[in-house]
Amino acid sequence: MADAEPTDVDCIIFATISPDIAFPGPGCFLQDQLGCNTVGALDIRAQDAGFVYALATGDRFVRAGKARRVLVCGGDVHSSALDYSARAVATTPIFGDGAGVALLGDADEAGVLATVLHSDATGYQRFWCESPGSRTYPARMTRRHFDEGRHFYSLDASAIAEQAETTLAATTDEVLRAANVATDAVSLFVMHYLDPRVAGRAAERAGLPAERVIATAERGGHVAAGGIPIALTEALQSGRVQRGDVVCCVAFGGGMAWGGALLRL
Amino acid sequence: MNARILGLGRHVPEGIVTNDDLAGMMDTSDEWIQQRTGIRQRHFTSGDAGPADLAVPAVEEALRAAGIEAGDLDLILLGTLSPDYDLPSSASILQSHLGVRGMPVMDIRNQCSGFLYALSVADAFIKSGGARHVLVCGAEVHSTGLDQTTGGREVAVIFGDGAGAAVLGPEPDPETGILSTHLHAEGRYASKLMVEVPTSLCWPRVNEDMLDVPGSRLWPRMEGRYVFKHAVTRFPEVVREALEANGYTVADLDLFIPHQANLRISQFVAGALELPEEKVFSNIDRYGNTTAASIPIALYEAAQSGRLAPGALVCLGAFGSGFTWASALLRW
Repeated sequence: MADAEPTDVDCIIFATISPDIAFPGPGCFLQDQLGCNTVGALDIRAQDAGFVYALATGDRFVRAGKARRVLVCGGDVHSSALDYSARAVATTPIFGDGAGVALLGDADEAGVLATVLHSDATGYQRFWCESPGSRTYPARMTRRHFDEGRHFYSLDASAIAEQAETTLAATTDEVLRAANVATDAVSLFVMHYLDPRVAGRAAERAGLPAERVIATAERGGHVAAGGIPIALTEALQSGRVQRGDVVCCVAFGGGMAWGGALLRL
Repeated sequence: MNARILGLGRHVPEGIVTNDDLAGMMDTSDEWIQQRTGIRQRHFTSGDAGPADLAVPAVEEALRAAGIEAGDLDLILLGTLSPDYDLPSSASILQSHLGVRGMPVMDIRNQCSGFLYALSVADAFIKSGGARHVLVCGAEVHSTGLDQTTGGREVAVIFGDGAGAAVLGPEPDPETGILSTHLHAEGRYASKLMVEVPTSLCWPRVNEDMLDVPGSRLWPRMEGRYVFKHAVTRFPEVVREALEANGYTVADLDLFIPHQANLRISQFVAGALELPEEKVFSNIDRYGNTTAASIPIALYEAAQSGRLAPGALVCLGAFGSGFTWASALLRW
């Protein structure tokens, strides 16, 4: 893959919903641990669409001439934030921990063929976590909040399933159109959503051939900001896709934020 | 295609907290605070308002000034270290408050450098044709996260609540608007200025020990002297970087707007750059340090008071937790 040293990276973009500490963000910690000099470390939040947002932002940095090599990371440690009591039996098993990265570089033949990003915050409480939050005094979280478990993810999966299915399908179509690429030209469709069955139905709805579809949450659980780069890395390592292949990644989740990226690997 | 600031807005909560008010809550004094920070007062929310709430009036003002509607925005960026909720982003809450949908929104979590990191993202999207109109907002509610007892006085006297917003749009003249942006970080100093919890490194991430405890790890921790030492090195460095990248020198600058961290830092930096006092913007006396909100609030006030004449060369600079630091050079 990319033959580069940490000191060749001139910008880091990190997406997560479960940072190492409240602040500063994981981009700063990663930069220190890799030894990337004093390059910028941008920490973003776009929930489950975080990696696609980070990738689109990295692409814009390269296109605008602000950076040559951008390290785009998505990762989450959900396990320490989950509710292991009986009340969370439908939510907790969904999530897994992990991280993935992509190193973007400037190239004559664009590797990032198209990106599309969207958000609609209507109904954001269908997947949210209230505490800690600065609306609460004192200390962003009270004993009442804690006792009521408001520091755990609150997810109404059945309420967002249909929106997720139609949006993932529509976003696949949108990003293919944006790059003027036909479904047949795409080697792999990575559908990123917390319920792999919904991701599968979205692929059917979009008319994608099942043998070229990965639902990220199927293996290792749902890693909000990390699922896509993990799936891409596995697909490359297993030989399911090769360098030069075109892959389509779409994500939908909390916010509700969603997006798609069409890449030539 | 350059990006240019088309409109600015600002909003702070009504409640003013003077140094004397703080002296009633903790062992401190007006003299001590003014001498070390230059702060005379700050604004605090009265509870149940988050950064997205503070941002709305600032955004509406910036949109009016830019002559566009919220629905015309192609991208919404919000810099904050004090989000409304743990999940989702405060940019999502802001989008909901603005009553618009469809355009992408994201939080930029780069603390005191948050506004300039967000400005850089906006610039990249506009320059590369990925967006026309971008909202860049900085908004903070610090007051709910400060230890307002004597134990927390070193930190509590510094910070204030507030929001600032800038609407950016395309500018065909390559000599006008944002000329360049410069982003840096040095994560090895993360622990010098941080809020440690909640932390994914701890199992469970949120636990009872984090509640109601004096000296809780939920409060910000700062090694002030350490931060000062690095700030007065990195600020001048990153200002010079921006000037050199565009073939200018300090003498060409019409106005330097530093993140309002501490008046003593700004004075030290001005001295190091040999910039006369009238070319260095300061309003920290009235707002305290509003982290991601300080630069757009300062820009708004600089514009209102006529200090941003067309053609003026303006440098924005920031340094803070991460450590992160950044600059942007603009031709107004």
